[in-house]
Amino acid sequence: MLTRFAVLLGAALLAAGLLAGCGSGDEGVVLRFYTPADAATQYGQAAVDCTDQAGGRYRIEQQTLPRQADDQRLQLARRIVGGDETLDIMLLDVTWTAEFAEAEWILPFPPEAAARAQEGTLEVAYETGTWRGELFAAPLNTNTQLLWYREDLMPPSGPPGRWDEVIAIAEGLAAQDRPSWIEVQAAQYEGITVWFNTLLTSAGGRIVADDGTTVTLAEGDAANRALEIMSGVATARGVDPSLSQRDEGAARLAMESGRAVFQVNYPFVLPGIEENNGGSPIDEQGNPTDQDTGRQVGDVFDWAPYPSVVEGEPASVTIGGLNLAVSSTSRHPEQAFEAIQCLRNRENQLRNAREGGVPPTLEALYTDPAFQEAYPAWEAIKTSLDNASVRPESPAYQSISIVLSDALNPPNEIDPDAMVDDLAQRVEDAVNSQGLVP
Amino acid sequence: MTTTEVPARFPVDTPDTDGKRRSEGARAERRLAAMLCAPAVIVMVAVTAYPIGYAIWLSLLRYDLRFPEQSQFVGLDNYVAVLTDQYWWSAFTVTIAITVISVAIELVLGLALALVMHRTIMGRGTVRTVVLIPYGIVTVAAAFSWQYAWTPETGYLAGLLPDGSAPLTEQIPALAIVVLAEVWKTTPFMALLLLAGLALVPDDLLRAAQVDGAGPWQRLTKVILPMMKPAILVALLFRTLDAFRVFDNIYVLTRGNNGTGSVSILGYDNLFGAFNLGIGSAISILTFVCVAIIAFLFVKGFGAAAPGADAERR
Amino acid sequence: MMAVADTPARKAGWSVLNIVVILYALVPVLWITSLSFKTTATVTDGNFVPREWTVANYQGIFATSEFTRALGNSIGIALIATTLAVVIGTMAAYAIARLTFPGKKLLIGVSLLIAMFPQISLVSPLFEIERAIGLFDTWPGLILPYITFSLPLAIYTLSAFFREIPWELEKAAKMDGATPAQAFRSVIVPLAAPGVFTTAILVFIFCWNDFLFAISLTSTEASRTVPAAISNFTGSSQFEEPTGSIAAAAVVITIPIIVFVLLFQRRIVAGLTSGAVKG
Repeated sequence: MLTRFAVLLGAALLAAGLLAGCGSGDEGVVLRFYTPADAATQYGQAAVDCTDQAGGRYRIEQQTLPRQADDQRLQLARRIVGGDETLDIMLLDVTWTAEFAEAEWILPFPPEAAARAQEGTLEVAYETGTWRGELFAAPLNTNTQLLWYREDLMPPSGPPGRWDEVIAIAEGLAAQDRPSWIEVQAAQYEGITVWFNTLLTSAGGRIVADDGTTVTLAEGDAANRALEIMSGVATARGVDPSLSQRDEGAARLAMESGRAVFQVNYPFVLPGIEENNGGSPIDEQGNPTDQDTGRQVGDVFDWAPYPSVVEGEPASVTIGGLNLAVSSTSRHPEQAFEAIQCLRNRENQLRNAREGGVPPTLEALYTDPAFQEAYPAWEAIKTSLDNASVRPESPAYQSISIVLSDALNPPNEIDPDAMVDDLAQRVEDAVNSQGLVP
Repeated sequence: MTTTEVPARFPVDTPDTDGKRRSEGARAERRLAAMLCAPAVIVMVAVTAYPIGYAIWLSLLRYDLRFPEQSQFVGLDNYVAVLTDQYWWSAFTVTIAITVISVAIELVLGLALALVMHRTIMGRGTVRTVVLIPYGIVTVAAAFSWQYAWTPETGYLAGLLPDGSAPLTEQIPALAIVVLAEVWKTTPFMALLLLAGLALVPDDLLRAAQVDGAGPWQRLTKVILPMMKPAILVALLFRTLDAFRVFDNIYVLTRGNNGTGSVSILGYDNLFGAFNLGIGSAISILTFVCVAIIAFLFVKGFGAAAPGADAERR
Repeated sequence: MMAVADTPARKAGWSVLNIVVILYALVPVLWITSLSFKTTATVTDGNFVPREWTVANYQGIFATSEFTRALGNSIGIALIATTLAVVIGTMAAYAIARLTFPGKKLLIGVSLLIAMFPQISLVSPLFEIERAIGLFDTWPGLILPYITFSLPLAIYTLSAFFREIPWELEKAAKMDGATPAQAFRSVIVPLAAPGVFTTAILVFIFCWNDFLFAISLTSTEASRTVPAAISNFTGSSQFEEPTGSIAAAAVVITIPIIVFVLLFQRRIVAGLTSGAVKG
């Protein structure tokens, strides 16, 4: 009975294995294109279009990864380390380039392909795809933040240009019992690291140097100024009590509810508030109300450049975005590089911008009327991208982000003077893979 | 509780046919036992032998997936690094707190639930079905339910608190919510195991006790609870082992932020966030050691009946 | 049951208790149901009862095959894993509870070890094995780990039950002339049934609930189960948090559990009150 059982079990396993293996008959080269779950339909459409253009040389199949960036990274890393050959093209977050490149999980672009990818592409976006001078991931989308504000609540001089002005206006409104929340991404996640990095680079500092391992955070007073601003926002009078829980979506919703006067966020908030029928109705004071007053948040919703830190110098917003890379376990790297060129062409980037809400990386598109129509804020976005900064390029970036977000949250407990050295030490440990991450 | 492996009914010094029959019987018994246990053993060993061994081996290496060339054998260095790190001890404290508090509440509530399920005179079927629903809901879905309920503006529970409080962003309130979510979800598990134990309490004993003048409380503490002791200990053992490894609820509710991370979350972050396989495996092994100590305490200390210990007597 | 008159006062008392219990169990379930019927505009308004009702969330999750496939996978995998785990566990538990054999303590120790070992550190090696032998993203690829990690619970629960069964009844039946098989079937099986069904429920719920293995050992619709599919949910547009979809999915996947429990709950009741297991 035992042997019979064992034989049956073994046969079942074998059969399952064979069944899993077969089914992928000889149908030519299939390139699997892994994208996040958000905007998967646009990427699927791009895959179909590029398959048509391939003229039979290959077929691109779009596959969806989990919604959260961390889960995507985990799945991709695990499968590449496990030698999964069905990974060909992947959409990587801009922060993963150094990590994946150093670990040899993605392939460097051949020189001609790299040159083609660089042509006409925004400089700062191209930088996010390089590591040690070589291109490992070609930019597809990018993203940057602007200051979104309530027109009706501004002083006659208009929207503020610096962070201390932002705080001053908000506190003034709080004294009058009017909406005073300043919405930022301050939850304990990547968002708060981005906020800190933006402030730091706007003040002229950097977290790590170009080599990815030398910690430069504590040099100069940039870190101190950045921390002072974060602390100021979080302890301002009339501050949002849930500030330390806000991410992009929550910040947008708080603004639409009418209780916030400022938010720093990505351009998706504009079509967002339109889809939400203009947000909450507001009364003459600007406070949200249940009655239909005929005036809504969306009617007085406007944008301005991201507040700067240093007088006279524009802010250096830390950009986001997605890049296209080829997995080192792919069986068809040549076709994959070719397909990438098509997947990031003008039509596909325009579609992503219009339907997916993410700005393109091709500079020419910013002067295209079709794009400008979909993005009323296109000029501010372009200016922001011209001055933008990138997140620290280091294979240990994930650890850096985790330890920084742990230290910086909740922002109302930041002590600017005491914290700079602590942050530098944490980043040092993270870069050398020492110790634990929380 | 100690048993000898050589069956006591195989007396070495009485020969002849009686002894031979008994030895044949013992051998047949062992063969039957081997056949019955084989599938379980094969499945368990085949699936876990390599992973467990690999995890132990990894914990002795300095191995970061992002810097594969720098791996080297470092012996117990990882364990030292973990045990001297404040993040480990803070996670450990949080885990102990959650475990003790939630298991204590679950035991009391579970017992009460079991009593109601056992004794209620109407709608028994409904009550018993309904009570199992919290346990059956997918954990992450229930955790979302709690998260939305306690988020300011969105949630009905958050609305009950003074304006301006966001309980999920402060350590103690967030931990309280985690305990609430854990208790709500797994009290039915306790209740189910306790109900089975409760059903084995003979009614005649209870009637006799009542006739002797024992009130309901005395019947509970002097008759029911002692007879349920094996069931209670099994329920406590499994529930404590699970509570110590709490993960899903914390992951959804707070992602481990603001000092609410348990040892499992810490292991997850180091293994899958920082890709530090050496440290992450060391954290996992240490978690296992803690859990093993708990189990040991239960079995040896409280006398949780190890099944099969007195099978020879039957 | 206590032989006391069912006075209206007693009935009222138990009814109140019943209601308290039902409320305890159902309030969060009702909340998530209410969330699933809310329109996207009102989902953040904090009301327990929706002010605006819609079935759009349900339509949304069934619009693609993704969720339906995941449901099918979940049900199939959980059923198969439960059946196998209960069968294998029953055999082993019987041996532990009734027989003497060398290595019994080792077996118990090993199953405890497996029950206690943190699963997060086992996921990656398991993934590598499964990929190497081609089980990644297949049903057996999930069924085997589920059986493995629910066996300790099954064995412990079942052997605890089997210990309490008076085996003398079987001997008595045999002495009355029944064959061993008949004695087993007519005496032991009804006594063992409640324990077996309790274990089946616990194992099923474990498989149904699992999140870690589901997201690590699957990658396509072929074997992705519901918890993993939920993590892929996006809102109806890229501006929406998928609150409504997640809530709708949660409600839909709770229904099989209710059905499962309803079916087996009567068996347990019958077994527990049959009176055979009195001291």
